[in-house]
Amino acid sequence: MTDDIIVQVSGLQFSRSGRPIFSGLDLAIPRGSITAIMGPSGTGKTTLLRMITGQLRPQAGEVTVAGQNVASLSRSKLFDLRRRMGMLFQNSALLTDFSVFENVAFPLRENTRLPDELIRHVVLTKLNSVGLRGAAELMPSELSGGMSRRVAMARAIVMDPELLLYDEPFSGLDPISLGVVLRLIRLNNDALDLTSVVVSHDVAEINQIADHCFVISEGKVIASGPPKDLASSSSELVRQFMTGAADGPVPFHYPAPDYAEQLLGTS
Amino acid sequence: MTLALQLWGGLTESLRKLGAAILFLIEILKQCPGALARPRLISQQVHNSGVLSLVIIMTSAFFVGMVIGLQGYDSLSRLRQEDILGAGVALTLFKELGPVVTALLFAGRAGTALASEIGLMRATDQLSAMEVMAIDPIRRIVAPRFLGAVISVPLLTTVFNAIGILGAWFIGVLVMGVDNGAFWSQMQEFVDPPDIFEGVWKSVVFGITAGLVAVFEGYNAPPTAEGVGMATTRTVVTTSILVLVFDYVITAFLI
Repeated sequence: MTDDIIVQVSGLQFSRSGRPIFSGLDLAIPRGSITAIMGPSGTGKTTLLRMITGQLRPQAGEVTVAGQNVASLSRSKLFDLRRRMGMLFQNSALLTDFSVFENVAFPLRENTRLPDELIRHVVLTKLNSVGLRGAAELMPSELSGGMSRRVAMARAIVMDPELLLYDEPFSGLDPISLGVVLRLIRLNNDALDLTSVVVSHDVAEINQIADHCFVISEGKVIASGPPKDLASSSSELVRQFMTGAADGPVPFHYPAPDYAEQLLGTS
Repeated sequence: MTLALQLWGGLTESLRKLGAAILFLIEILKQCPGALARPRLISQQVHNSGVLSLVIIMTSAFFVGMVIGLQGYDSLSRLRQEDILGAGVALTLFKELGPVVTALLFAGRAGTALASEIGLMRATDQLSAMEVMAIDPIRRIVAPRFLGAVISVPLLTTVFNAIGILGAWFIGVLVMGVDNGAFWSQMQEFVDPPDIFEGVWKSVVFGITAGLVAVFEGYNAPPTAEGVGMATTRTVVTTSILVLVFDYVITAFLI
């Protein structure tokens, strides 16, 4: 693995309840870029993120982050590696008993011995960068979905990670919040000199920010490249996904017996 | 044949769960020094589990004490021995009812709260988020709650015993007319330190049991509304059964 690659996935195999999720998945994520991992629902995009963070172990193959095979790390080494990562969860996963300020301060309080005054400065800076310095004293239950996502983003960058993972960051957002989140992903990536991995199936949004895309289906990467190139891919499945066509290789109808026969009760 | 297979399946599942709970306890014990280094987290849990259980413990203790006082008076007066009511009540409370009823009430009040709190944190990805932030949820969330339970149950048992005796005194001395001096002096005469230590040992074991079952069920709850509900129910059922089983085992060893 070269220094330019921060995440390398090789020959990854994983199945759940007998159903294969990955069957020999290979991909490499370059440093400094925004890389999108796309694919229809249920293709294992979130599972892949959980393997990058070491929450799940592959049944075969390797996931290497910053030159370290994640599955082979001891718990303390894994925690050292995780201090170099941040992750934005789909549901934000804010600690519901803590205020916005304390949520963002939480990784600093637990992982460092910084004095309170410095923690206050860092937290307010990060909250300011997502536009929520004024919401520092609010509780998570008082936030909208878009605000929760931004607080989670501030918490994810508070330790100044090298790698930031986003799990479905655009789902359930109104157009204004969506625009804000899109802008913040790009800004964070460039201003903090980090690498972003965005798991999503929102094609339009990915087209706006991603430098590189991987499309996963049936356990493998079926296409990769800049988003604009994928729309003209030779693969019918990739084209269906990128254009959002209702029917195609992924059929509109779930496999079923013949319609007429079923209605007439002969099948 | 089917019944035998079902029984075998149930037995292996129970053994698997017992093994998982023991491994979980070992993991908690490994994280306890780290949790003890932050006493504020533990005192917060003693407040949540212990102080907030005081009302139910004190109310129940007073009525349990009154019932023992009444039943004890009824039985002893047939033998013209009502003067030893104080000793009988104290021995019953210190050795048996105090630790057992406190643990059962704790499981219903605080154990369920612990299991559902941790289960909900699991269901809303809060525990996963901590893992990714390089914060061990067992050290930060589970160990302080477990220690809070282990500290709270013996303290609550002491309160239960004191209030229970007060309830028995109220009914025996003030209502039924047992001699006040005899009530207290007979208690002093017949209750020895080993009787008190028997209750203390039991309350410590029950505290460990109630705390472990609550955090284990919550931590391993399926991340769904039904899963959290089932974990809460299992916490009460499992703790109640284990407390009664351990009560017999400890009594058999100490008596």
